[in-house]
Amino acid sequence: MPFKSSQNRVIIPVVEMTPMIDIVFLLIIFFMVAAQFAQQARVEVALPIGAGEQDTDIQASKLVINIRANGEIVLDESIGEIDLKTLNTQLQTFEDEGASWEDITIRADRDSSTEVLNDILGLLSEHGMKATNIATEVP
Amino acid sequence: MKFNQLGKRKTVNHAALNMSSMIDVTFLLLIYFIVTTVIATPEEALTPALKSEKSSSVSQDNFEPQIILVTTVNAQPVYQIGDQSFIDRNHLAPFLEQLPKEPGLIFRVDDSVSVGFAIAAIQEARNADFEKVTYVPKLP
Repeated sequence: MPFKSSQNRVIIPVVEMTPMIDIVFLLIIFFMVAAQFAQQARVEVALPIGAGEQDTDIQASKLVINIRANGEIVLDESIGEIDLKTLNTQLQTFEDEGASWEDITIRADRDSSTEVLNDILGLLSEHGMKATNIATEVP
Repeated sequence: MKFNQLGKRKTVNHAALNMSSMIDVTFLLLIYFIVTTVIATPEEALTPALKSEKSSSVSQDNFEPQIILVTTVNAQPVYQIGDQSFIDRNHLAPFLEQLPKEPGLIFRVDDSVSVGFAIAAIQEARNADFEKVTYVPKLP
């Protein structure tokens, strides 16, 4: 009696999908969280191009003053535009809490006029700030 | 006649989950988030010292060779130092390299120029190894 040869057996390859799905889910979570943080953290301004000091930690700033191209001053996107008087009050509160110039970063649009920047720097000087952090975009 | 139950062949059902649809949706989600995520550009900071024009410590007479006026002449933004003018940072940079570094540099920035133009000068001063760079807002 002829027996069936074992060489004719068809082997169906099984692709293990579990690790791939794990990685894909991790990537999705990463991009979801990154997108969320990017929206919350930064007001959209085109910063001046420059390598900066290369040793400053602007992420640690407690107060970020944004100047849009049209000269609007924005502390928080959700609050919107503020005037110099409101900023002065904020700086006073900030000063009372014992903050120094290192805790403040100015993010000014490269196309905005220095008129607003000068007004803000004048305010900082009045509050006894000896220097300032001006954010740049690393080329 | 009673048949023995144990004699029956047992059938085992292997439940198979079809993963294809889920993987399709997952990849679509991944592509969506990759496309919509704005990659944040790396940011740094320049830290010039601040001086007010009202302050008596800024005297043009004492520091004349080291004071750079950032202003506008005939609607053209320029960097002025002494009687020399530079129209952009590329022209200013070689000149800053020649200046003595110890006294530092003072930038008196006029209201009429753009922030990008003013900050470019401060960046060039840092690139030229000036330790003391001071920004003086020129108030009206």
